[in-house]
Amino acid sequence: MTHPEDTATIERDLRAVDAALAAGTAEHGDPQARELQELALALRAEAPQPQPRFADELRARAEAGFPRKPRTVWLPRRLKPFLAPSAVTLTVVALIGVAIATSDDPGSSDGGGGGAVALDDGADGSSSGEAATGATAPEAGVGRAGGDDSAVVPSEPLPRDGGFAPSQSNRKIERSIAMTLEAPEDRVAEVADGVTRVTGRYGGFVLRSDLNTGEDGASGTFELRIPSARLQAAVRDLSALATVRSQTQSGQDVTRAHVTVKDRLQAARAERRSLLRRLESADTDEEAESIRRRLDLVAGEINGLRAQLRELRLRTDYAVVAVDLVSEGGESGSGAGGGSFDDALGDAGDLLVGTAGVLIRILALAVPLGAIAGAAWLGARIVRRRRRASALA
Amino acid sequence: MPVVTGTERESFAALYERAFPRVYAYVASLLRDRSAAEDVTAQAFERAYRKRSSYRARRGSMDAWLFGIARNAALDELRRRKRLASLEVDPEDTTDPGADDRAELALRRDVVRAAMATLDGGERDLLALKFSAGLSNAEIARVLGMSESNAGTRLHRTLTKLRKACDDAS
Repeated sequence: MTHPEDTATIERDLRAVDAALAAGTAEHGDPQARELQELALALRAEAPQPQPRFADELRARAEAGFPRKPRTVWLPRRLKPFLAPSAVTLTVVALIGVAIATSDDPGSSDGGGGGAVALDDGADGSSSGEAATGATAPEAGVGRAGGDDSAVVPSEPLPRDGGFAPSQSNRKIERSIAMTLEAPEDRVAEVADGVTRVTGRYGGFVLRSDLNTGEDGASGTFELRIPSARLQAAVRDLSALATVRSQTQSGQDVTRAHVTVKDRLQAARAERRSLLRRLESADTDEEAESIRRRLDLVAGEINGLRAQLRELRLRTDYAVVAVDLVSEGGESGSGAGGGSFDDALGDAGDLLVGTAGVLIRILALAVPLGAIAGAAWLGARIVRRRRRASALA
Repeated sequence: MPVVTGTERESFAALYERAFPRVYAYVASLLRDRSAAEDVTAQAFERAYRKRSSYRARRGSMDAWLFGIARNAALDELRRRKRLASLEVDPEDTTDPGADDRAELALRRDVVRAAMATLDGGERDLLALKFSAGLSNAEIARVLGMSESNAGTRLHRTLTKLRKACDDAS
């Protein structure tokens, strides 16, 4: 800490030094200050002078605007350490962004698992306009839609018997189909009845249904369960009810899960049999009680595995069929291929929301990465400053 | 490369004319090597020319900005060439003594040089900024990143130390 008198002395001496440098003479009345003035003048006299040759050369370069020497790539030296990390960071962000954007494709159907098999035949909007082509002969006695006698989307043939891996006849496949049917507004109710009838005819059932008929147009949604063995015929009849605007099929192989649960169930049953035998030959009450407790546990396990097996069988024995029913000129399920101004507005909104979602995900990655890069830059700057200072130590 | 306007060129030319001998003197005081001082001086002016659009008047005078660049370049050079030891060496005599060089002046110069050798690098840097570069205390404070009063106090302390060292050496 500086003493007040010292502060005054310091200020006096500094003023004396500046005065001597300005005047070129040391004439302060105080001997101590005058000594400092003389020292200041001596130090200034010690300042090295540039050689005239160098001064001329540098002046010429300065007047020419410091022309660059030919170099392959010029980068500020301070940026070079960050070049490689920045490139890696940008690449990672770009790759993740592309991956996210790709996974957000609204037309894709992934079946919900790693073993999914997706069969998409024109479900996206780009093909909806041309989708109602091709022909499949109707088998059921349901009237055709709108006078268009060939309005069935050509679909990927469903696998026969063995599911999506024909070479393995015992594969267990979860199947699902989503389809959009389009009918004239005055026939929507009739087509809805037809959906219910076709479902019943093939041994299926309607899990949920929703039918709206009003001033805004008629529409309906159905969630059906149809026996997988009869799915192909049922879909054919459903397609014959009205114009098929889009159709998506997917399948997921759950054979492994099925086999695993089945094996575990067999093992649990074998253990129960073994425990029962041990119980018969138990010598003491304690031993018998211990075996009974173990039996209770195994029984619980068996019940749980049975439930899992039932659930798996239900999912593979019955296919999930989702039917969207729309009136002609009404809501477009896929959002492309013309339509009203409202449709276009809605599509634009969906597109913006989708884009915003992708951008938010990219930002969620880029912001922390940017913060890390910023911290690294600051750290590097501090280190560089300290290193420079160390050159004077 | 940014577009260079006539005004910018004139402004840089004025800065060059005003500061060139002082930048060289400052850099040479730090490096104690004429060849290296020329390289670093040229490098500092070239950097300043390329970065002239980054200068902000509210952050200090143009001289302080230029000497900040020169100091960084000199310290980088000093570190790169590991010339720490050379700071301890007697400075190169760049002046032409001439026929009328008085013995008293030569003696005083020797005393000052010997006294300078007792200072550390930071103190010599401070003196070089003041007496070779001719910066004001406010500009020195800007270059070194400290307050003006702190710069003044350090300068006074260093001058006092140097004066004592001169007394001891004489």
